[in-house]
Amino acid sequence: MKRHGFMLHTQLGITLICCAFLIVPVCLSVLTGLSANAFVGISSGLTLRWVGEVWTLYHDTIWRSLLIGLACLGCCLIVGVPAAYFMVRMKSRWTKMLEELLVLPLAIPGLAIALGLLLIYGGFTSFRMSWLFILAGHVVFCLPFMVRSVAAVMAMVDLDSLEEGAASLGASFAKRFMTVVVPNVMPGIVSGALMVFTLSIGEFNLTWMLHTPLTKTLPVGLADSYASMRLEIGSAYTIYFFALIIPLLTAMQWVGAKSLKNKTVQALVEDSPEALLMPTTNPGREFRGVPVKLISCAKTFADGTVGLKPFDLSIEAGQTVVLLGPSGCGKTTTLRIIAGLETPDDGGRILFGDEDVTHVPIEKRNVGMVFQSYALFPNMSVYGNIEYGLRVRGDDAKKRSARVGEMLDMMQIRHLADRRIEQLSGGQRQRVALARAIAVRPRVLLLDEPLTALDAKLRHSLREEIDTLLKRLGITAVYVTHDQGEAMALGDVVVVMNHGEVVQQGSPRDIYFNPSNRFVADFIGTMNTLRCKVNQDLVVLPGGHAIAKSSLVGAPQALASSPTLLFRPESAEIKANGDGQIKAKILSASFLGHKNRLRVVLPDGSACTLDAPGGQRFADGEVITFSVPPEHLRLLPEAARC
Amino acid sequence: MLTNRKQALIMGLPLGAVLVAFFLLPMARLILETGTQGGVQLYLDALTKPRYLASLFSTITLSAVVTFCSLALSGVVGVFLARNSFPTKRLLVSMLTFPLAFPGVVVGFMVILWAGRQGLLGQLTKALTGDKIVLAYSMSGLFLGYLYFSIPRVVTAVMAAAEKINPELEEAARSLGASPWRVIKDVIIPALTPAFISSGAICFATSMGAFGTAFTLATDIDVLPITIYTEFTLSANIGMAACLSIILGTITWAVLFFARIVAREDSIGAAG
Repeated sequence: MKRHGFMLHTQLGITLICCAFLIVPVCLSVLTGLSANAFVGISSGLTLRWVGEVWTLYHDTIWRSLLIGLACLGCCLIVGVPAAYFMVRMKSRWTKMLEELLVLPLAIPGLAIALGLLLIYGGFTSFRMSWLFILAGHVVFCLPFMVRSVAAVMAMVDLDSLEEGAASLGASFAKRFMTVVVPNVMPGIVSGALMVFTLSIGEFNLTWMLHTPLTKTLPVGLADSYASMRLEIGSAYTIYFFALIIPLLTAMQWVGAKSLKNKTVQALVEDSPEALLMPTTNPGREFRGVPVKLISCAKTFADGTVGLKPFDLSIEAGQTVVLLGPSGCGKTTTLRIIAGLETPDDGGRILFGDEDVTHVPIEKRNVGMVFQSYALFPNMSVYGNIEYGLRVRGDDAKKRSARVGEMLDMMQIRHLADRRIEQLSGGQRQRVALARAIAVRPRVLLLDEPLTALDAKLRHSLREEIDTLLKRLGITAVYVTHDQGEAMALGDVVVVMNHGEVVQQGSPRDIYFNPSNRFVADFIGTMNTLRCKVNQDLVVLPGGHAIAKSSLVGAPQALASSPTLLFRPESAEIKANGDGQIKAKILSASFLGHKNRLRVVLPDGSACTLDAPGGQRFADGEVITFSVPPEHLRLLPEAARC
Repeated sequence: MLTNRKQALIMGLPLGAVLVAFFLLPMARLILETGTQGGVQLYLDALTKPRYLASLFSTITLSAVVTFCSLALSGVVGVFLARNSFPTKRLLVSMLTFPLAFPGVVVGFMVILWAGRQGLLGQLTKALTGDKIVLAYSMSGLFLGYLYFSIPRVVTAVMAAAEKINPELEEAARSLGASPWRVIKDVIIPALTPAFISSGAICFATSMGAFGTAFTLATDIDVLPITIYTEFTLSANIGMAACLSIILGTITWAVLFFARIVAREDSIGAAG
């Protein structure tokens, strides 16, 4: 511990020495600048004489530095902010090169850049003699700082979904940039701006080479005054420089501290119990859904990977279609094609009613979209978010406020209207995202895994709410999920996808009970398989019990010699006294309250999952028998071949 | 893709125009100038003539030593400030970062106030020993000046990196029996290495190109930027000035480039 204390003291000592090394001359220069006699020091008395003298001698340099600093800031804003957007957006070899190029003005000494500028533009006398020449140098030197500061913040903000969110509400490119991109990267712009202004005010290397006797800046004047060997004038002049940069540095520290503080408050607000219980009010049926048709839509990405194989999909007006499948199956790509965020390969068409919208960009399609990350605009309040799409459409204030009010009431979030997005819980954000998408009366509502970010309990209650909402609104909706429970609960039609293909399409009941292949059977719920044998008109189950082929629903005459039968755990009936068709040994029994879930092994060594009523007791290793009523046994279509 | 290429390109266009007009063209002109004023022979002269070689050598040595010292000092200070909180911490941090915005000339003036003919050091040593020590106009003065503008840069980088170190790592090492020195060696220094590399490279590059400090101190030691300046203004030897600028630029760019590859971290904050 003692040793630790010694280390701490050493560190403190070195820190204080460094501070003193940096600050003592600063204090000295202020004191010397205010002392009547620089050689005697402060004891000679305080005076403002030198400060006044410097003003008469050099005040033009101070004004010129401010002018160049502001002009440089303006140029860097106009050029740098769009450039940062370009670099973040267009990730390619070219932007990599541009990034490298942007390091160069930092790496190459100002002297070299100035020399180059002199050689190439020195002949244009009026440009060479004006302060604009210095400005050009400053812009080259400062621009990288602005671009990098803004690009760093842009890379942290989820620009993709924010912009897509704005586009789905109808905002054009310019509108998106000004209302969503710029406000959300403001911290980067502000800190970049402060840095650029400070750097420009203090720039010496370039300026010394580029200046003329008529275009001296503050640092050039400082160098002159130091060279004059009059310590008191140099010191007094330095006071002016300090006075200029102290506010800038303070502002920079303040901005830095503020953005740090913002980041720490970002933690998601917990969902309160009332948020869970808050039902949405009954919205009136608005009858505005249109039928949607996808005709041979396929998607091949730029790198050649096939995201989606050609397929057709027909959605009736007011229907809810759920696209279900594992990640990477193409469901989100399908949704993005309907939204207009992706265009299908040549030959694919998308129809909204009778209108062909294949080449209509998202902002003109009038769709409502709820994103997985919600894509709520952090720079606007809840009210502002819901109002955004209406504002973009140019609705008047009265109409907007009426519609937003309607949405706030519908989603029961009126009390949250003035909140900022970061003050909302996950469930509340979800409601705002829904309200924002519905507010614009979209022709189609698109929901991209909207419940994934929420915990299980909230997911369940919100699922029911969304179900009620969609049914009441009568809106055409496409819902993407990888959760089969959500798909079953919400979908009028469920489209199961895998590897960029539609595997099966049908009502939830259909999909559950009549899976068209093994993938669907396994993906939706738990499905057991029985490896059977065919013996003339009989199908022999594992363990030897045989059932009539004719008792199987939809079994063709010609059956493969060893077909696979499928059944759901809940279809099994555990029989007492060994009366069941199949004997099984319990590997593990889990009591789930309303039922027991048994993991058993069959005589042929395969494992099955069975459900038994919760009232019964089972022990691991116990041997049981069970039956599956023939109407619950399914023959896989792909097995029904010779 | 939501943003189409055309729109994004329009956004990047102004930057391209500015860079071409005021950076790429001047740089190309600079290279062209060396071509017309002697070509390869000029570069050979720059790298063999004793005057230029000595200047290059002293600049590189000075920059390397300054970089090493600032890393050592700022490492201690940065970790200390990031790890401890006490009432005057904000004040200390402000004091350490204040000179970040000083141009080289002001830094030179600060060194004069410290160790010049009327400097504090001279007055103190005169009062104590009777001899006045004046460092400002020698290599030591340059060293002090370069250290003056390097420390704030490295301290900010080290502090930012040290704040990100998970304190549990240190606690874990100590729970396993590591002494404070071992913790520094095994946990803290490895965690700070990327910051050391990137800020060290910036520090080196800035020192190589620093002009204002040496200009104000007007020492008899010619660092490379001063040599370039005198070649250009006094000897009107534009070709040699351009050639030395290119050599200097190449060295600093290469150091920054390799540091970025090694540290895989973008370097922000190099300023003259």
